[in-house]
Amino acid sequence: MTPQGSVVLSGRGLVKRYGEQVALAGVDIDIRGGEALAVVGPSGSGKTSLLHVLAGILRPDGGEITLHGRRIDQLSETRRSELRRTEFGFVFQSGMLVAELSAEENVALPMLLGGARRREAIGAAREWLGRLGLRGREGARPGELSGGQAQRVAIARALTHRPKVIFADEPTGALDTRTGKDTMDALLVSASDAGTSVVIVTHDVELAGSLPRTVTIRDGRIAEQVGVLS
Amino acid sequence: MIGAQLAVKVLVADRRTRTATLLTAVGVAVATGLVLLLLSLPYATKGRAERAAWQEHHGSTGDGTPTLMISSSTDFSDGRRIDRVDVAPLTGGVELPAGVRKFPARGEVLVSPALFQAMNRLPAAQLAERFPGEVVGTLGDEALRYPDQMVALVGHTPDSMPSTATERHGFVPRADAQVDGLLAVLAGVGVVVLLVPSLVLVASSARLIAARREQRLAALRLAGATPGQVVAITAAETGIAAVAGALIGWAISPLLRLLARLVPWDGGTWLAGDFRVPAGLTVFVLVAVPALVLLAAVAGLRRVVSNPVGAVVRHTPKPLRWWRLLSLPATALFFFAAIGKGDLSVILLGLALMIASAMLAGPYVTAVIGGFFVSRWQKPSALLAGRRLRDDPRGAYRASAGVVLAVFTGSMALTLMPSFDAMTGGGGAYRDSVLSVDTSVARSTVIAGQANTTLARYNLPARAVSMPEVTLKSVNGSTYQGVVISCADAVKVFRVQDTCAGPGVYSAYDLELGGFQVAGSYDGAGVPFAPGTAAKPIARTDDDGYLPLLIDPAVLPAGFVAETARVAVDTTQADREMVRTALVGAAGGESVYTRELYLGEQRNQLDDLRRVTVIGVTVAAVLAGCSAAIATAGSVMDRRRTFGALMAAGTPARVLARALRMEAALPALVATIGSGVLGMVAGLGLFSIIQESRDASAVISPWLAAPVVLGFAVAVLATSVCAPALNRVRAEPLADE
Repeated sequence: MTPQGSVVLSGRGLVKRYGEQVALAGVDIDIRGGEALAVVGPSGSGKTSLLHVLAGILRPDGGEITLHGRRIDQLSETRRSELRRTEFGFVFQSGMLVAELSAEENVALPMLLGGARRREAIGAAREWLGRLGLRGREGARPGELSGGQAQRVAIARALTHRPKVIFADEPTGALDTRTGKDTMDALLVSASDAGTSVVIVTHDVELAGSLPRTVTIRDGRIAEQVGVLS
Repeated sequence: MIGAQLAVKVLVADRRTRTATLLTAVGVAVATGLVLLLLSLPYATKGRAERAAWQEHHGSTGDGTPTLMISSSTDFSDGRRIDRVDVAPLTGGVELPAGVRKFPARGEVLVSPALFQAMNRLPAAQLAERFPGEVVGTLGDEALRYPDQMVALVGHTPDSMPSTATERHGFVPRADAQVDGLLAVLAGVGVVVLLVPSLVLVASSARLIAARREQRLAALRLAGATPGQVVAITAAETGIAAVAGALIGWAISPLLRLLARLVPWDGGTWLAGDFRVPAGLTVFVLVAVPALVLLAAVAGLRRVVSNPVGAVVRHTPKPLRWWRLLSLPATALFFFAAIGKGDLSVILLGLALMIASAMLAGPYVTAVIGGFFVSRWQKPSALLAGRRLRDDPRGAYRASAGVVLAVFTGSMALTLMPSFDAMTGGGGAYRDSVLSVDTSVARSTVIAGQANTTLARYNLPARAVSMPEVTLKSVNGSTYQGVVISCADAVKVFRVQDTCAGPGVYSAYDLELGGFQVAGSYDGAGVPFAPGTAAKPIARTDDDGYLPLLIDPAVLPAGFVAETARVAVDTTQADREMVRTALVGAAGGESVYTRELYLGEQRNQLDDLRRVTVIGVTVAAVLAGCSAAIATAGSVMDRRRTFGALMAAGTPARVLARALRMEAALPALVATIGSGVLGMVAGLGLFSIIQESRDASAVISPWLAAPVVLGFAVAVLATSVCAPALNRVRAEPLADE
């Protein structure tokens, strides 16, 4: 668990270009231990690019990223993959679960990929599914789950290997308001219990407003920051 | 109209559709080109046979009064076959075959260009002196079975013709030409062996866009499109690729024919015009192949047409039933029952059913293996592969369908080939190096005398012996064949050990001569042996072939007259061609037989079979590999978003690649081993048809594993395309496409 309040992940002068198009034009941002922050902004403003760059999915064209003070933007793809697998967790809009695997196998997957034994990984997966209210649905396939249930499985998957930071890209975008709120509550409570930071990219104003800190991105720059570390 | 417009729009806008369309077109082009080539094989052999019809002398004597005498024989030079036709005119104005510029008079010889070159290259004593007279011209391509055929047309007067000559009204016309039945059967097998992998290739290409197309069409159905409109859109989408592919296939077929020309069969290659297909049949193929592809595409719309909502919702897969396994023994039983009956068409049906049963049982076995991995997995790649195999065993196995046929055919061929190899030889009483001529007793002394004169002129020690052929008849009616030859001479020409012990009747079997009579022919009157004539044992050098009784001239009853005889002469490696020249020159158009060349002919036939099998299996394997590669690429594309998300979350590409390879390798392993065993069973079944009549045993060679290993390697190698496909996903893991 990361000490509350200390900077876990930091980006300085982040630049990302897609050909002529500038997605990030020099963004400075810090993510502190255990905090939950929303990244908002109009479509095409650079929110998702910021998330992908911070998570090491994309390499920035300029600037630097540090995790616990160590630079990670210059690591090889293999090392960044390992970092994403061990230090970060991901929740995507439509869950992005592996259709062929059961709920518990989907949740266990990051631990298995990290080298955990089958019994240990499945045990941890069942525990997290239970915490998120999915006891009894462990063997269900994604196609047999509702949207909210599938998203909770995705949250369990993001948390099961106890990451430092969870990145969530429009996690409630495909859910109705009620289910979306329940799902977000599940994510935030579980992350808080685990001391995990959460970065959520969203268009949902209500969701963003419910989080202690909101960063607004416009034209690839941070236009506004509201709130501080709780 | 809306179908065509939408199809073009989708084609322009969607890269994956463009790729799939291109691959479908390639698959259809390959299928069309191969079908056109294979359909041309019977016409090619017919063309050959028609050109060479004039070289035959058997068959009908033709309508009308005889106009010529003709005798056809076979000779060899340096292991290459020479077809010799001796002719003499009975009347004037004999119609000449195409490519024969003149009817040779006595002392004139027309030869093919290949024979002409050989005659100029080799010393006269080795070849040219076999033909009496002067070379007055060459034969044109239209008179040759294949371009490098060695043929001689030798002119005579009727009285100098060989004893085997027949009278006919003109040369055998082209219309009476016999088609090569074996190549026609092989072409039929080839159509199945190569067409199926081609169509699997087309099906794999279609799968690249199957999921996306189904969603698009379901959306159109939900928006109010009628089933007819949906079918029209699909037909338009597929039709573009299928028609273009068929036309490309037609355009490349001359190139395939050009390559086919270079493949030797039955002694030689082919002429440019041999591989022709009638225009009507070509048009039929150009319509039928795209129509088949269209039909398959439209048939695949069942789900989206009947239930568009269901098409966009993921289905829980239905488990496959165990009874699929029963199809294997059931079809094998049918096949062996068909072999018992001996009806070729039913046997071929049995073969087709066995292949079909592999397609039925394969997915079930794949699902079982998938289930095993799901219950026993320890690594994520095994879990991912196991689940995929369990969920979609048909899809997983489909990629191996082409491999199945290639391995089945290869294993069947490799079961048959060594067994055929083991059957070669046999039936020969003479030493491999002996040359001999069958003729009348009167001619035999002339031939032997002339041959020996020539041999003396060549300063060669070899000498021809004349052996009258006789029949020995016992009192109980049984008969034995015999030849009149001294034991000392017999040792030189027959495959017997030198255990001579004076004059007598030498036999390789226990024989009591009491009551035996010797006759000049099977129907001739017998003359008893002199009292005290004993049968003496003689040992053969091997058990291969039949040894006639060897009757020393000293014990032959007085007044006995034989009708036929054989002139035989032993040769060495060094003097063989010159001895042959001496004997062929003396025989004057009667075939000179040698067991060595008989064995060589058998080997050539097997080489022909081996060559076409290797070509067929290689092409099938390449097509199968392409299908497997496309199926693997499609598998990555289908799950692009899932794989992208896994990679974004840190899953190494190598783990996914390992899972994909396992997904492909496991069904391929099932498919190759299963089809290899089936192919061997089918080969043993087919061999049993011949085995009974030839008293031969099947040979199971370790090479039998080669098609299985090759097929598996091709399938696994083809799955290596998953690496670049995954790398593309890794570059932009969360992009839509």
